[in-house]
Amino acid sequence: MKPRIIINDFVASMKGWMRSRGTIFWSIVFPIMLILIFGAIFSGGDNPTYTIYVQDLDESMWSENYINTLKNISFLKIENIPREKNITDFIKEKDLRGALLIPEGFGEKVEQSFYDHNITVNLLFFFDPSDQGSISVVRSIISSSLQETNLLLTGGRHVIGLEQVSTITTKFKYIDFFIPGLIGFTIMQICIYGSIERNTKFRKDGILRKLQTTPITRTEWIFAKMLFMLFLSFFSTGIAVIVGILAWGVVININIWMITIIVANSFLFSGLGMIIGRFVKEEETADTAAGAITFPMMFLAGTFYPLQSMPQFLQDFAKILPLYYVNEGLRNSMINLDYGKATYYTVIVFVFACVFFIAGVFLTKWKED
Amino acid sequence: MIQKKFQCPKCNTIITCSGEFGDVLKVRCSSCGAIGKATFKAPIKTDDVAIEVSNLKKVYSNLVAVDNISFCVKKGEVFAFLGPNGAGKTTTVEMIESIREPTEGTIKIFGKNIKTSFNEIKEKIGVLPQEFRSFERLTVKETLIYFSKLYEKRADVDEILQLMDLIDYKKMLYKNLSGGLKQRVGVAISLVNDPEIVFLDEPTTGLDPKARREVWDVIVNLKKKGKTIFLTTHYMEEAEYLADHIAIIHKGKIIAEGSLDELTQKYGKGAVLHIKKCSNGNAAEILKENGFLVTSEKNGDISIKIDYKEKVLEVLAALRHACIEYDSIDIRRSNLEEVFLNLTGAKLSEETL
Repeated sequence: MKPRIIINDFVASMKGWMRSRGTIFWSIVFPIMLILIFGAIFSGGDNPTYTIYVQDLDESMWSENYINTLKNISFLKIENIPREKNITDFIKEKDLRGALLIPEGFGEKVEQSFYDHNITVNLLFFFDPSDQGSISVVRSIISSSLQETNLLLTGGRHVIGLEQVSTITTKFKYIDFFIPGLIGFTIMQICIYGSIERNTKFRKDGILRKLQTTPITRTEWIFAKMLFMLFLSFFSTGIAVIVGILAWGVVININIWMITIIVANSFLFSGLGMIIGRFVKEEETADTAAGAITFPMMFLAGTFYPLQSMPQFLQDFAKILPLYYVNEGLRNSMINLDYGKATYYTVIVFVFACVFFIAGVFLTKWKED
Repeated sequence: MIQKKFQCPKCNTIITCSGEFGDVLKVRCSSCGAIGKATFKAPIKTDDVAIEVSNLKKVYSNLVAVDNISFCVKKGEVFAFLGPNGAGKTTTVEMIESIREPTEGTIKIFGKNIKTSFNEIKEKIGVLPQEFRSFERLTVKETLIYFSKLYEKRADVDEILQLMDLIDYKKMLYKNLSGGLKQRVGVAISLVNDPEIVFLDEPTTGLDPKARREVWDVIVNLKKKGKTIFLTTHYMEEAEYLADHIAIIHKGKIIAEGSLDELTQKYGKGAVLHIKKCSNGNAAEILKENGFLVTSEKNGDISIKIDYKEKVLEVLAALRHACIEYDSIDIRRSNLEEVFLNLTGAKLSEETL
């Protein structure tokens, strides 16, 4: 392999890329737009009716009065959690967004507060912070209703407060979930479509035939292209990370698992692109074929939504999709910092990459039949 | 001294004559008196051969695309491979360029078998593939630099731009060029390593007449620089204008080969001298008696086959000697269309369509 030839091809690819508005849009602007749009959507919430699950361990007149206050709010629906249930287990079991607990002794403390102004009592609000859809709205409703109750009871003195309890140990936001998925997805898009362009358009335009008559070897050419794909992969990852940090304050850990997965991801989907390009000769048909593979993968591999919110059969199906392992690997290495799981997913992505890339290299032919 | 046998085109008598390689001798048929030209062609020396193709064959399933063809291309000549679409031109040239694997046969470039020495040969050849389109988002100059850096031996890119008259377009993106300019860039790319042989596969297909003429000028310039050019085309006028040697391929086989003169003489009517309104009714008889081949005679208009340039003067001298006057003369030469028609029974232009 001659470095001169590889650098020459890399530089030419860079120039071509920088002059393509379409490519720049899909590899830089589009991911930024997605981060900003999805971040904005899931930081707010616009559900017109909300359900609050309430467990009343006090069962006093005062707790009953407060529940009735909540019931009087027209867009709130109140559901009871039986006294004998453990509230956190119940939340997990029913896959609830959140629940309110009125502790035992609530009524007694309210009554004591009339004589002793130092006494306060807290309701407990259990919630999943990774669900940014409606939980902040529910929390504000409860807070407002408590202020109103305090006003009625004491003329405004703070007696009843709200303590928030996360149902998961680490405080993740949706954007934390989204950014690793977006990185995996963007690299998949860049590598598959880049590979297809090289294997169909270049073939149709006679560039592959031309190169075959020059001293560049197929290995040098593939190596140069992979170098370029890796550059694009890290570049788009950098963009996603920077925007995530600046716009949404995401805390991202860069480590060896993340880097390995990004490299393996580039090889994996470049290999898949080569395979598609080998069997689908027409450029337009190849684009459609690539879309047919990447589009479902985008939705079914847990890129934008947690798999847990999907039916079981789709969750099982996700496990045959390479992007699922990329997404999980990136999340565990970048966000969750679960290095055991990160290693597990990295190994699987690496195996996928070896299989697809080796098959792609063997199937990529320059010689005509 | 070499002895060769020729056949009289008029009476088919075998004439034996002697000469040296390179001689062109005037020969008179002993039976009918017809006068003709005998050329003593020197055999091609191995050192003069750029490309040597022997018994080349390409078979796809049941289709024989190229059927056992052999030919040589001399150094410094423009060799045109002429034939209709689907005749096997591109398959042949792509086998020579090592893009396709031959089913049978051997190909040597500068005496070296391409199967074993193609990496070495790559430095000496430049190729413009059929329907070639380069990288859309590189400028003309960047494109040339990209391809030149793939070679050990490189020509000066600015000189190529000058030669191809592309200086004014060097900063333009390839995708913004016209069809003719793109084709010129394609030819320019094939020159970046200062190759000894340039393969141009249908370089003017799809171009308008002006752009086609520009590409022809480029090829003429390359020939002047001493390059060997292997040109495939289905335009007979392109082969007539550019080629020193033409091989006509039809249904995978070479059906005729030679210079334009040789092909038109052998397979066409050759050149014919038309004399209008001769003053003497016996003019045709007089010319026949002088050994000229009169092909038609009507109302004092006479046509005579001309197989070498000087023959025109000889005919006119014979007429003057017999005190025969005439209104006008003109010379019409057969073209490759006629040659192709005689060989295949079909018109090349129609087959191409």
